[in-house]
Amino acid sequence: MALTFSSKQINLPLKIIFMKNKFLIYLFIFASAAAVTSCSKDLLDTVPNDRLSENLFWKTQSDAEVAVNSLYRDLDGQNVFAWDAFTDIAHVNQPFAVDAYIALGTYDAKSSKVLSEWSNAYTGIAAANYFLQNAVNIPVITDTASFSRYKAEARFLRAYQYVKLTSLYGAVPLTTSPLSITDARQLKRATLKEVYDFIDAELTAVAPELPLTYTGANIGRATRGAAWSLKARADLYAGRYADAAVAAKAVIDLNTYSLYPEYKNLFTYKTENNSEVILDKQFIASVYSNSVFNLLGPYSQKSSQSTYVPTRAGVDIYQTASGLDINDPSSGYDAVNPYISRDSRLGFSVYLDGDILPDGSVFHPAPNSGTPDAVGNTYIASTTGFNIKKYINAEDLANPSNNGINIILIRYAEVLLTYAEAKIEANSIDQSVYDAINTVRNTRADVKLPSIANNLSQAELRSAVRRERTVELAFEGLHLQDIRRWKTAEKVVPGPVYGITYKDNGATKIIQVAVNRVFDAGKHYLWPIPQTERDQDPDLEQNPGW
Amino acid sequence: MDGTVTDSKTRIPLEGVTVVIKGTTNSTLTDANGHFTLKTGQKFPFTVSLSYVGYKPVEAEATGTALSIELTATEQALNDVVVVAYGTQKKITLTNAVSQIGGAELTKRPVSNIQQSLQGQLPGVTVLDQGGSPGNAAATIRVRGVTTFNTNATSGTSGFDLSKNDALVIVDGSEQRLTDLNPNDIETITVLKDAASTAIYGSRATNGVILVTTRAAKKGKAQVNYDGYYALQKAINRPVQMGIEDYMNEQQVAYSNAGLVVPAKFSDSSIQVWVNATDRYKYPLPNTWFTTLLRTAPQTSHSIAVSGGSDIIRSRLSLRYQDQAGIIKNYGNKIAEIRLNTDYNAAKNLSFNANIDYRYNYIFQPTVDPINNFFHGSMWAVPKYPNGTYGLSTQGNNPLMFDEIGGQTQTRYDYFTGAIQGNWIIFKSLSFTSFFSGRAYFTQGKAFANAYINKDSITGIVKTVANNTLTETRNNLREYTWNNLLTYQQAFGKHHLKVLAGYSQIDNVQTYLSAYRERFYNNDIQSIGQGTNDPTKSNSGYDASFALRSYFGRINYDFDGKYLLEVNGRRDGSSKFTGAKQYGFFPSFSAGWVLSEEDFFSSVKPVVQDLKVRGSYGRTGNQSVDLYSYYASLTLAGYDFGGQSVNGYRQTTLANKELGWESTDQLDIGLDAAAFDRRLNFTVDYYRKVTNDILLNLNIPATVGLIAPFQNAGSVENKGWEFSVNYTSPRGNTDGFHYTVGGYLAVNSNKVLDLKGTGPYITGSDIDPRYIIAKGLPINTLWGYKTDGLFQSREEIDKYKATYAANTKPGDVKYVDTNNDGKIDASDMTVIGNSFPKYTFGLNSTLTYKNFDVSVLFQGAAKVDTRLAGALAEMGNQEGFTHEIYAGNYWTPENTNARFPRPVKYDLRNVATSDRLVCRGDYVRLKNVQLAYSIPASLLKNARIERLRFYVSATNLFTISKLNEWNLDPETPSGRAVYFPQTAVYTLGVNLQF
Repeated sequence: MALTFSSKQINLPLKIIFMKNKFLIYLFIFASAAAVTSCSKDLLDTVPNDRLSENLFWKTQSDAEVAVNSLYRDLDGQNVFAWDAFTDIAHVNQPFAVDAYIALGTYDAKSSKVLSEWSNAYTGIAAANYFLQNAVNIPVITDTASFSRYKAEARFLRAYQYVKLTSLYGAVPLTTSPLSITDARQLKRATLKEVYDFIDAELTAVAPELPLTYTGANIGRATRGAAWSLKARADLYAGRYADAAVAAKAVIDLNTYSLYPEYKNLFTYKTENNSEVILDKQFIASVYSNSVFNLLGPYSQKSSQSTYVPTRAGVDIYQTASGLDINDPSSGYDAVNPYISRDSRLGFSVYLDGDILPDGSVFHPAPNSGTPDAVGNTYIASTTGFNIKKYINAEDLANPSNNGINIILIRYAEVLLTYAEAKIEANSIDQSVYDAINTVRNTRADVKLPSIANNLSQAELRSAVRRERTVELAFEGLHLQDIRRWKTAEKVVPGPVYGITYKDNGATKIIQVAVNRVFDAGKHYLWPIPQTERDQDPDLEQNPGW
Repeated sequence: MDGTVTDSKTRIPLEGVTVVIKGTTNSTLTDANGHFTLKTGQKFPFTVSLSYVGYKPVEAEATGTALSIELTATEQALNDVVVVAYGTQKKITLTNAVSQIGGAELTKRPVSNIQQSLQGQLPGVTVLDQGGSPGNAAATIRVRGVTTFNTNATSGTSGFDLSKNDALVIVDGSEQRLTDLNPNDIETITVLKDAASTAIYGSRATNGVILVTTRAAKKGKAQVNYDGYYALQKAINRPVQMGIEDYMNEQQVAYSNAGLVVPAKFSDSSIQVWVNATDRYKYPLPNTWFTTLLRTAPQTSHSIAVSGGSDIIRSRLSLRYQDQAGIIKNYGNKIAEIRLNTDYNAAKNLSFNANIDYRYNYIFQPTVDPINNFFHGSMWAVPKYPNGTYGLSTQGNNPLMFDEIGGQTQTRYDYFTGAIQGNWIIFKSLSFTSFFSGRAYFTQGKAFANAYINKDSITGIVKTVANNTLTETRNNLREYTWNNLLTYQQAFGKHHLKVLAGYSQIDNVQTYLSAYRERFYNNDIQSIGQGTNDPTKSNSGYDASFALRSYFGRINYDFDGKYLLEVNGRRDGSSKFTGAKQYGFFPSFSAGWVLSEEDFFSSVKPVVQDLKVRGSYGRTGNQSVDLYSYYASLTLAGYDFGGQSVNGYRQTTLANKELGWESTDQLDIGLDAAAFDRRLNFTVDYYRKVTNDILLNLNIPATVGLIAPFQNAGSVENKGWEFSVNYTSPRGNTDGFHYTVGGYLAVNSNKVLDLKGTGPYITGSDIDPRYIIAKGLPINTLWGYKTDGLFQSREEIDKYKATYAANTKPGDVKYVDTNNDGKIDASDMTVIGNSFPKYTFGLNSTLTYKNFDVSVLFQGAAKVDTRLAGALAEMGNQEGFTHEIYAGNYWTPENTNARFPRPVKYDLRNVATSDRLVCRGDYVRLKNVQLAYSIPASLLKNARIERLRFYVSATNLFTISKLNEWNLDPETPSGRAVYFPQTAVYTLGVNLQF
């Protein structure tokens, strides 16, 4: 019994002692001692009822379902927006943010960002491993088809984490079952080949187990298309171009996906789960929410943070409406009015001077424009004068930090461009390469760039697909891996960051942000293995240069 | 009639004793031989009363023969009875390091909690009084340093979590909060410091034990005490903003230095307009918050106690009401309390004590903390326009607006404590005590944030808080304690033996519930059910319980009062651990030798009356570990698919079934001495304590993928010296001049001995203090760059090479490349300061002259550092408050000998964590001075008043500290200084007894 005497119970015997004789006193002491002994087992055995004991779990199929559901939380969410800010196309706005040290090239193995991406990925891997180890012990499975699908989902999600890890850190330790602390202190890095072989094998194995599509309260789970798409991405990163092309082609041949007709509305609430989305992180405001509006929105919109902002380089890569690069003399580019007659995706992706903001006001970022968004008005406002427009929805203005917008992690346009790039790099160029690129350039209702010229050389096609990929997927978190595998980072990253063109007393000026980025090709192509990991596990070798 | 008066112990004649014939005004004083003569016509027998400061008053019957009267001293240090664990002990036979203070010392100055009143009083007890808003006073007590820490500090700005260093507080036998206890109810506070005195509290004793005894009733006719005061509080740290012209010029320089476009506002012509403007609505001053929001605020307290009774039953009833207004509007704290302490002698060998205490505490404060915005993000905002609207900074902030219309957070606490104790003397030498107490704490929180729209009528900036919101919380705690003690005490010739055996159990249950809704009809409708009933509403809660079961014993033995020995042991079982680790054993031993009782000492005895050396060694524990840490469990972690929320469960924290107690081994060697008729008392202690198996969330490899569980790892050493000395002046001169003076010095060195190969652990960033916990360093050592002045020329920079920023220029800080690798990065960081004082000291003196008494208390610390951060450190480079200390004192090509580097707007190069931002935090302050006057007893007699005393006092009257130039309080922690300002309090009070 737990100790829950009322004072009445205590008083009563004492009263008897007082009135009667010593015998009763001894009785009382004895009784007290007995009470102590009798409840001794319970008193120290407090059991929490605000959490679920491991011993009570893993009993039914529904345990497996709820366990696999929680694995989706480990998918990347708005953290993907940081990655492009480490490239030429975007910038970390506040110089004292942890991310800024990475962007500026002044980070090291102790960077908390370097650790957090690593540990988030391994959290997802460990959760999947924990699931896979325990789910098989569930005694009774009522629906074997769903149960195999759960396992396939878990393996898909684990592979997702390995793709991310290996792209950021290179070869990483490969773990496929739960680790004790002792095990974890003796881990070694696998080879890059082992990691990619594992990813390939896993995704190949799980794809047939996963359905093509879902309905209702299952939309958002891993699909066969997602497995092939992820494999295509991984193979592209690995330089396994033929495999990448095969995987991407498999997605195309599913005939399940198509480009959504309006690029403009691709990242809005009303188009969630549209035909282009292959994998996303799903959110609901107030339940499981993100804060992307507050993270990326212009300062004038409820003091949103402009955490990552486009750079001039990121804007200049958009072609003019005539389908030519802006430095092409015949492109029609006007350096004084640089934003008119451009690839329409620029205006859909970046807030430009004169745009209407979610609250109905007009975006005027020029210094001394007198608006909250004016460069220099506050350190929170965009220092380049550009703001990311993707995912900024007027619905979120009321609660900028409580957003329900899904964040897309893989979409069909990426698969098309992966297909094209893989074929180009494998030098098996055919019409399907042109078709893939041109589909992205001009099949949407609101993106109508001229098709690329026919009969381009491999090098010309390479630069075409690279530009297309950069523009189409800008600020969605893929460009960091692109400039790493293209080995262009050492050329495009270093140096100052530029911003908008504006007029000052009639003179045309360009904003220059007071930073100077460094990129050391000797080491910056991979992040270092986090120092705290190496402190605890000396067998973990550091990446070159760190 | 005549007679002689002597000291009951020393037999020394007492001079200056007042002898009064009872019921008359006929009185006299004793002479140097303790002799007195009274001439009276009164018939024998009659009664004379004798009174003498420091002695118990005595009445004697005069029958005509010469009287020989002995007075017993009330404050003879070494014969005092000291409260110890589960009992009391004569100080002379004490073998432990224990400090005790009487309630009277605690009520000398008005404080908002007891922790503050302990400051500067006891060696080895470091009280950091960080001010705090009314009801949320931030005063922490550390007994002999910090022994443990949490490495999973989530706050990046305040260093590692040291909350597990709080001493165990036992009020009348059960664990309670020290905060808010009525100081007038306290008889004594005893601090047990060494392992020998604390080990009997076993697993909760590592951080020292504070024993509070509340006042018991006195026999006799009803006595009424009233203690009341009215006080005024005033902020003493009010940083001063740089003047408008200096500030605007500095901004111009900062923008230019950063290569940025200088905003039109800071052009030369604009600066002239702003400086010469008289319309401060259109051209506001940069930052006025310390003058706009801080005010002088009252604090009042009334406390009445009625006590009295017979040999059979005695009661003391006390009531208190305290009302503290905040020095910022909309902050406040009210306390109402009632306590009843009753003693009942049921039979010759059976007695009971029952204590009941109920306390209601109401605390209110603005929901949006305005203080952060005093410094940050509130520049150039007009406090308030004549039309009642508020000006806004670029960021939409205005602390006055937040304070006045942001909404109120109210917290109501109901504390109920009840205890009953039965004492049964079984035989003359054997007694049994059973003690049962229950306490119930109910906390009700209501944080309402108003919805409002405010437009700055000049700049047009709009601040919209679209939705009002309410968060309601309920926190209930119930705890039962049951202690049973058997005490045996017997003398066998010169052998004295005292044995205590005990059993104790504690059962603690806590529940927490919170609920949230938003969009109420308006800001006046504040009931949770009135918020919008849609998915934005939410609720949450948890249950927790723990239990403790303990068996303990103590043996005290002494031979002839000369050789003292004590053995303690406690076996503690805690529900926080499992399996073989559930029980822990905590033993201690101590011994003492009273040299002054030896024959060879007799020649010294006329000068030194008492001399004792003592030593102790023992082990104590700390069970401050999160509940259920050993328990493998899954927690709710849902997700959503297709717009519908689904359940999810996952394992988040690795379980550690091997978890065990943190234990501290402590050695203490001490010496107590009394000399000059015991007027001079001296105590010195040396201690060394080593805490092992610290419960840490050690880093585990992230590849495990789970949150690290607590593990027993790491060792911390604290060692130090404590000296205390008290002197009471001889008295006897008829002028009544009398004084006492006392002081202490405590030295503490803290060092992390071992972290099991992990670490170092570093928190903080370039813009907030960095703290490190690493082997060989004190806990929470300040960490950062060393610097070597400022670069003065291009050549110097080129030659030096290692720079923090790529385009370093003259006037920038020259950080030291400690590892000589040609660059400045995190690996160049080193120790730049000490966050816990090495030396703490206090000096206390009371002077009495006739009916006047004056007391002063000085207190301070040395070898401690404070790291400035946020706006204070940024020198205007961001968008915050800019201290006037920077004015004209930053580097420019014309002012190369400046104290501060060149300002660079939006740039961190010169304000990264470095020794330049670390200030010496050493200080001495006049903590309290009090002047009191007691109305002479002769004047009060007719009014049937026994005592009437008036006093005025002032706290924190002045402080000597390097931080004064920053207008900062030296007791405040490193960081952004966004705490509620520390105050000086001026009090007028009265003590009345009848």
